[in-house]
Amino acid sequence: MPLTLGLGLLVAVMETIYYKNKDEIWRKMADFWGRIFKINFGIGLVTGLAMTFQFGTNWGSYAEFMGDVFGPPLAVEALLAFFLEGTFFGAWIFLDRNRQKLKAFSMWMVALGTNISSLWIITANGFMQNPVGYEMAADGSKVVMTDFFALLTNSYVWYMLIHTLLSAYLLTAFVIMGICAYHFLKRNNNEVFKKSFSIAVTIALATAVMLPVLGHGYAQYVAALQPAKGAAMDGIWETGSSVPMYLIQVPDSSTGSNSVQLLGIPGLASFLYTGSFSGQITGLNQLPQDILPPVDLVFWSFRLMTILGSLFIIEALIGSYLQKSGKLYTSDKYLKLLMWSIPLPYIAITAGWNVAEIGRQPWLVYGLLKTANGLSSVPSSDVLLSIVLISAFYLILIVFEIYLIKKTVVNATGVE
Amino acid sequence: MFDFLTHDMLAVIWFFLWCVIWGVYFMVDSFALGVGLLSPFIATDNVQGMQIKRSVGPFWGGNEVWLILAAGGTFAAFPLVFSKMFTFLYLPMMLLLIGLVARGISIEYLHKDDNPLIQKVLTWGWFVGSLLISLVLGVAFANFFKGLEIASGGVYEGTLLGLFGPYALIGGVLFVLMSVTSGALWINIKTEGAISTKAGDLAKKSTLIVLVLALVYLAYSFVGIEGFTGNYSVMPALYLLPVLAIVAAVLSVFFTKKGRGFPAFCSNLLAFLFIVQSGLASIYPYMLKSSVSPEYGIDIFEAASSHLTLSIMLGGALVFVPIVIIYQLWVYTLFKEKIKETEQVDY
Repeated sequence: MPLTLGLGLLVAVMETIYYKNKDEIWRKMADFWGRIFKINFGIGLVTGLAMTFQFGTNWGSYAEFMGDVFGPPLAVEALLAFFLEGTFFGAWIFLDRNRQKLKAFSMWMVALGTNISSLWIITANGFMQNPVGYEMAADGSKVVMTDFFALLTNSYVWYMLIHTLLSAYLLTAFVIMGICAYHFLKRNNNEVFKKSFSIAVTIALATAVMLPVLGHGYAQYVAALQPAKGAAMDGIWETGSSVPMYLIQVPDSSTGSNSVQLLGIPGLASFLYTGSFSGQITGLNQLPQDILPPVDLVFWSFRLMTILGSLFIIEALIGSYLQKSGKLYTSDKYLKLLMWSIPLPYIAITAGWNVAEIGRQPWLVYGLLKTANGLSSVPSSDVLLSIVLISAFYLILIVFEIYLIKKTVVNATGVE
Repeated sequence: MFDFLTHDMLAVIWFFLWCVIWGVYFMVDSFALGVGLLSPFIATDNVQGMQIKRSVGPFWGGNEVWLILAAGGTFAAFPLVFSKMFTFLYLPMMLLLIGLVARGISIEYLHKDDNPLIQKVLTWGWFVGSLLISLVLGVAFANFFKGLEIASGGVYEGTLLGLFGPYALIGGVLFVLMSVTSGALWINIKTEGAISTKAGDLAKKSTLIVLVLALVYLAYSFVGIEGFTGNYSVMPALYLLPVLAIVAAVLSVFFTKKGRGFPAFCSNLLAFLFIVQSGLASIYPYMLKSSVSPEYGIDIFEAASSHLTLSIMLGGALVFVPIVIIYQLWVYTLFKEKIKETEQVDY
């Protein structure tokens, strides 16, 4: 899915430039990346569908509890985003180059649709993180929306949206760089890949730097709002001021302390959490013990994400330098590194979602509904059957998708 | 917003909109489903296969969103119904999901790879997906009209096998055949050459079968389904719905015979619409009717969201549904040319 968000916008730009200047290179770029977009879009469409269904099938109680608040964003998403995507995706594919203006326009509508769609899904998720604009029903059975505007202006939504979109664009840039690297390694220095690389490396650098800068504010905000998640991110067990941050650290939730902690930087954790080196952070052991998330998982996910994030900055910096100095196409080690880096943004994004979602546990809706109470009352054999069926089905699809993308990349379809 | 409307009035308006959205979905997706159902049988070579795919390629994705809107609209306007519907009909809904995924993937990836085996799998995937969607929905809606086995306290006592009674099976077959007819007429009007003629001939038979089945289904509904006539006796004007359904089905037979594809196609869609509406009109005010005893059913007033949610969504729907309809129609005009046998473009 994240690839769709970034690639859609890029292909729209390429289609538009081709419409304006009729330069064949842009048509080739639009063709090649458009093809990858098409293959990827199929999977996005399908997983999106499954998610909508799951709200009813597996999260029935959640749907009842949250329907009043969660339903409108979902319905508006269908009205505003899915229709745009669904309608214009078909138009974009089947319009030929004689109608380039319409083709470019259609792609813009698709890109707009996918990006709008993330706003609404995050509006819903933002409510789960930081419920606003609601009241409990008189009998306590469900939440009732009281202010739609508050739902939309929820700060959590905007922190999360920016972070999500930037990481999607970063992922797109790294996928493009990886694919170009593959061709440079084969000494196929086609202009299409050269140009694509220079666009991608710029995006990669910009997003890789912006993510931690803005992400820092996001983390501070989250730590203030959900202290347990905040403390778990850096494995802070005891309340204190001037809390150090350890470069090497292994938290152990069974003892409620770190089993290993080395290379502490004095006061850094306090600074990152509160903006002051002597600031006070509430430790996990001082928080109510029945609402702690699985600390180890949150900690390691957060570490993984930040380490990968740093790696992305380094890779993007090297890439810009090599490209400017003209050494890029012969720097085989770096090109190989880029190829192997394609899965990394996916891992980083998954880790990030782990922090956000697992860090919120045991709550499904923060402070309001516990996860275990959100499930449907469906026989577990039925659930098992459906999990097996759907997993098997998706596995086949993903293998098939990767096969198709690989084939497109290797043959450089549309480029020659 | 909409403060002049009471909560009950909003619930009724949303029930009406809900019926409309489902109706639109059944109409617009029927031809894409039908083309999928026909695809492994009707095309004799790759040229015709491509013609068929191109006849629905630009449209099916946008049309399927009406189903997502129907589901999303149910979630937002009647969360209780959404939750219960999916929980009670858990396995059928999973089948529907698999059908939707299989159909989507098959169309998207057909012709992306020229390996004959993959082509074959995807063509059949398109067929199976379309069959699952139309059959499951047909069976599900027949069960909605008949009522689900909801006992006191909202406990569901139905079984998977119990959903496939004779009434539901007729419903399922009817939905499948209406889609087939829709698809055949669509191929007939959207393509040129041998495939168009073949599809037109097929429609001559299928419209007749649909007419007979529609008569049987409606007769069964009115005579054999408990509580079906309740609303009709209160408001006899509703009888217009089944009458219009039959009139449309007759017209569809007539126009097909005359070789007038477009009016035949439209008549068939209307027949589909009015059959669905005849059933939906019978269950009001329930959305999930109980076949055990009416009071155990879930009605729209109980299931509706808050006044604020219903009004916001009503506002959204009034603004955006017309916009969606306008641009979807516009896309149809972009691809108004018939698909010739000679056009072989790579996608």
